[in-house]
Amino acid sequence: MAGRGKLIAVIGDEDTCTGFLLGGIGELNKNRKPNFLVVEKETSIAEIEETFKSFLTRNDIGIILINQFIAEMIRHAIDQHMESIPAVLEIPSKEHPYDASKDSILRRAKGMFSAEDFR
Amino acid sequence: MGLSEKEECVLLDQKLLVFMDQLELLEEKRERLNSLIEQGWFSMSKARYSMGNKQVSALQYGSEMEPLVRVHTRTLESGEAEFQTKRRTLKSPEERQVEDIGPKDKEGVRRRVKTQEVPEIDQSDNKHPWTETEPAPSSKPEPNPQQDPLKWFGILVPQTLKQAQASFKQVVELSAEVATLQSAVLTTRQQLQMKQKSSSQNPDLTD
Repeated sequence: MAGRGKLIAVIGDEDTCTGFLLGGIGELNKNRKPNFLVVEKETSIAEIEETFKSFLTRNDIGIILINQFIAEMIRHAIDQHMESIPAVLEIPSKEHPYDASKDSILRRAKGMFSAEDFR
Repeated sequence: MGLSEKEECVLLDQKLLVFMDQLELLEEKRERLNSLIEQGWFSMSKARYSMGNKQVSALQYGSEMEPLVRVHTRTLESGEAEFQTKRRTLKSPEERQVEDIGPKDKEGVRRRVKTQEVPEIDQSDNKHPWTETEPAPSSKPEPNPQQDPLKWFGILVPQTLKQAQASFKQVVELSAEVATLQSAVLTTRQQLQMKQKSSSQNPDLTD
């Protein structure tokens, strides 16, 4: 694993973004777009989806962290993402605890089994 | 010569067990990740309580940021991706230049200009825009984007904010592990599906 390394992006509420920026993942300078989006009440679903898609097209982002309640708003866009890089991780928010049944990755992994498979 | 029916079934069972183990490990790591995030929020809330609501918010974010941690990715032959974080260490105080907070020598705002030393400045001469009373742009220290994000919130921050930072640093490390496991789970699932398809097409393999 040589090279400079990729960034970790975050799409979340203010507390989530503040926490991860404290953790040192943030990038913001005059030339480049930020690798995070603070989602507030006024933030539209279109803006969230546009930011998510822009993170997917950037080749310098390795992991996208997104609050699960925000992921629910753009579930169709997340379900369409099949590549392994960047990885999409759904994380809880203060008001919405993590629900494994809603996680795209776990639904894909667990949904393969039916009664027929065990015969 | 292909594998016998029994060997195919054994391989399928082994793959299934690997898949179950990976799922179990993924759920364990997820639980730990979520717990650390909640711990970080709790510490941040305590810091906000002592510092003030607006003191720990998006208003304090630096105008320039450089990432202190990056993730290295590698794609294996099976299509599985591996993620590993690498954190950049901040320069130690000895390596960093001592920040001069006081007025610079060359800053002329408070400096009494000695008239016999200063050459007469021709008003029409625009070749030397900088006089001795004005500092040259290169002498001003540039803001260091590699600054610890903790400093956005003040010079002396409460211990709770440092604890929040420590929690989120651990979350970042764990995120890479969870991402690797997710990729492994999906790859194993894909392999299982392919094996199940091939065994269903060959009716001899089913009992």
